[in-house]
Amino acid sequence: MSAADHLSSTGPAGMPPAHAPKGYLHSPLKAGWRRLLQRRSARWSLHVLATLGTVALFADFIANDKPLYCRLDGTHYFPVLRQYAVDLGWKHWEPRFMQQDWQDHAYETVIFPPIPFAAKTIDPNTKANLGPFHKQQSANWRRRHWLGTDPLGHDVAAGMVAGTRVALSVGIIAMAVATAIGLLLGAVAGYFSGSSIPVNGIRLCLNLLAAFLAWFYGWEIEKYDWAWAARDGDLSSVLPAMLTRIATCFLAANILAARLKKIPLRPLQWTVRIPPDPWILRTIEIFDAIPGLLFLLALLAVVPTSSIWYVMGVIGLLRWTDIARFMRAAMLEVSPLPYIDAARVMGFSPRRILFRHALPNALSPVLITISFGIASAILLEAALSFLGFGIAADQVTWGQMLAQARQHPQAWWLAVLPGLAIFLTVSAFNLLGEALSDSFSAGK
Amino acid sequence: MPTAVLRRLLLFLPTLLAVSALAFALSRLTPGDPVLHFLVSNPFETAISSPDALRRAEQAYLTAARRLHADKPAFYFGISARAFPDTLHRILPLDRRLVLEQLTAQFGNWPAISDYHQALRQLERHTLSLPDSLHRFAANFRLPLLDLYTARDPATIRHRLDHALPEALQLAPPLQAFLEQPLRNLQDSYRFVETHPDPAALRTPSFRWYGADNQYHHWLSDFLRGDFGTSRYDRRPVADKVAPALFWTLTLNIASLLLASLLAIPIGIGSAIHRRKRFDRIATIGLFLLYSLPVFWIGTLLLVFFTTRTYGMDFFPGPGLGYLPSTAGPLEKILRAAPHLVLPVVCLTYPSLAFISRQVRNSMSEVLRQDYIRLARAKGLPRWRIYGRHAFRNALFPLITILGAILPGLVAGSVTIEFLFNIPGMGWLTYQGIFTKDWPVVFTVLMLGAVLTMAGVLLADILYTLADPRIRRFS
Repeated sequence: MSAADHLSSTGPAGMPPAHAPKGYLHSPLKAGWRRLLQRRSARWSLHVLATLGTVALFADFIANDKPLYCRLDGTHYFPVLRQYAVDLGWKHWEPRFMQQDWQDHAYETVIFPPIPFAAKTIDPNTKANLGPFHKQQSANWRRRHWLGTDPLGHDVAAGMVAGTRVALSVGIIAMAVATAIGLLLGAVAGYFSGSSIPVNGIRLCLNLLAAFLAWFYGWEIEKYDWAWAARDGDLSSVLPAMLTRIATCFLAANILAARLKKIPLRPLQWTVRIPPDPWILRTIEIFDAIPGLLFLLALLAVVPTSSIWYVMGVIGLLRWTDIARFMRAAMLEVSPLPYIDAARVMGFSPRRILFRHALPNALSPVLITISFGIASAILLEAALSFLGFGIAADQVTWGQMLAQARQHPQAWWLAVLPGLAIFLTVSAFNLLGEALSDSFSAGK
Repeated sequence: MPTAVLRRLLLFLPTLLAVSALAFALSRLTPGDPVLHFLVSNPFETAISSPDALRRAEQAYLTAARRLHADKPAFYFGISARAFPDTLHRILPLDRRLVLEQLTAQFGNWPAISDYHQALRQLERHTLSLPDSLHRFAANFRLPLLDLYTARDPATIRHRLDHALPEALQLAPPLQAFLEQPLRNLQDSYRFVETHPDPAALRTPSFRWYGADNQYHHWLSDFLRGDFGTSRYDRRPVADKVAPALFWTLTLNIASLLLASLLAIPIGIGSAIHRRKRFDRIATIGLFLLYSLPVFWIGTLLLVFFTTRTYGMDFFPGPGLGYLPSTAGPLEKILRAAPHLVLPVVCLTYPSLAFISRQVRNSMSEVLRQDYIRLARAKGLPRWRIYGRHAFRNALFPLITILGAILPGLVAGSVTIEFLFNIPGMGWLTYQGIFTKDWPVVFTVLMLGAVLTMAGVLLADILYTLADPRIRRFS
């Protein structure tokens, strides 16, 4: 927008024009949000995402083979809730619950979840590969498999609910990792583009030394113990020691640097100027050169035990580049604005200007990238589990259910339903991203 | 301008090095001993009859290890604790080296550990050079002895040395005359390791420079020379496996790229011309839906509904390529496999269709807003000339960047589609490679993918510079 437009739309002395909604001048984010909600597609995708989020959050209460509540021999139990306590090691199951199936107890009162199966329960009364419209031999309508069963006899509806949780958590956690890295690097690269960060040379050298020492004492001489601990699956003997050593190295280096800086000797005031932009751009280029799916496949094949956490972490570590690039571009637009200059003149520290004043104003393009990023992370994880990688044996994912349809073409519900869920989720995030990009760039 | 291209090329090098180091580091993490894999059968398992057989087995292992550069240091330099000798990488086989490393990491006393290892080998040689009449007794003694080569936990070693081996010797009195002394040597050497630890050596870092004769250097220079190593699965050169896979992947991808461009460019131009009209709106929504449809889902649906008898719509043959005579030329192979390729091509086409037409629409509508288009309209030029000659040619520039984005996919293939339809292309090769633990193949495809991604970006940058006069003038 040109300067003339700017003047005419804000009115004299920076006051909002009479027709502008409240909060217009104070927060571009708020205005963008309001524009977003005026779009039908955005409202639709937000509704879908809220529903999916609720399902993911309360997955254990929606599909579970344990009752939500039951009364047995005069005692009240909340087995679904209790499972959380048991998982945390706070409580134990009574022997009778361990020995007998949940539906076989002589309850006085019982409330089962809407879908009375867990994703991995095998119902002894039903056959495998049962279609949604096939005749089912369940005891009553409550135990009917509304979406059929898979080739092993698992309930498909319960699998869909469990898959929602995996898909959303992969998308959100992977993008949280990516956003943390991308936001920081992109903002620094954009804000200091064409200039450099002054760093105290002594502090830099001491930190480099600390990094070396932290690597050597935290990892290099401990790595054989690590190998043993990783094989036993118990890292508690090595992890705290490692973190303490690393923290000690860096803490000592920085305290020493702060002390040394106070000594009024010229060599101790030595300043190095580091231009972050080219370095960060180079790093982005390197990460962009890594073929994501191939790299993930190779990595998951190499690690001894696969877990969904690796998938989340690696997707996050690979996909931060888009966020960084957009953040950098937005920062390049924001940093020459007069209010940033004003902040500089007022003597604010670069860190404060960067994180308190410039970054919040450059956030909106990042929202768009995050939304698209979540969609692509979900898609990537689905493709991985479709190929049979990266999921623990006790987990059910949409991609994995879809892969079963390849071997069992007669089970059309396995081909249609999980794919539909992936499609819905991915397109909701994509639509949201599209709507975000339209409503946040409309002001420009 | 040439300096800009040159500078770009120079920046390409560090990226290549970083990515190759990453792939190499990952390939080093793979479980198992590559030398034993290369040898197919473990030579040490059969070397139980005589010292000569053992020597021959060691020789066979060493020859293979030398061929695979497994006896070289991993990188140009290394930093490790002073306790480890700088010639550690020469100790073979790998599992023994690992055990010695772990013992050193506990006691830090390398000379003593080395003596212990020598005493162990000495004892093994003694068990092999027994007179023929005693061989049958030796078997019970050799089992706990060989276990010592893989024992790294002090308690286990002590138990073997002080209980298992002496007891085995007690049970076979004729052996005692031959083996008692070497066993005592072994016990003494291990006791010396335990009683003389050197923790200070474990806490002191030391830097070692190994020079260019290292595994990474050989691996990268072999890769750049086109020698990708030998497949662990069928011992064929990896390059020989990549070539036919590349043929099918390129066939699939070029076909889908052509199809996608043929459809996408008219749709994109139409959307730009009728921007915000009905055609544009329908095309935008339709393409958006297409773009969000997961490829592997559509692939599965097509596979389930159109290739199986169950639903009475088996218009296409099932997965795989059908029978292809090995004497057939490339064109004949493609023609014979054509019915099998239809569904995969459809799956590969529709996402890029959405992507390309979106790009065409954006760049075309950008151009249509320019003054020279307004001028052309004002001049009264016919519409087809405005759109076809003035607008479209200029709108094509940004599409060059798509080329860069597409190139790596052309070669790396789509793992999911090739897996789903059993097409023996690059993606399928990777998938098989991972399942059969054929690491040379996996890391070759990974490196090829990375190199081509970078080359694609580079090519797009250079073409862009060459094609756009504005950039040419001002850079």
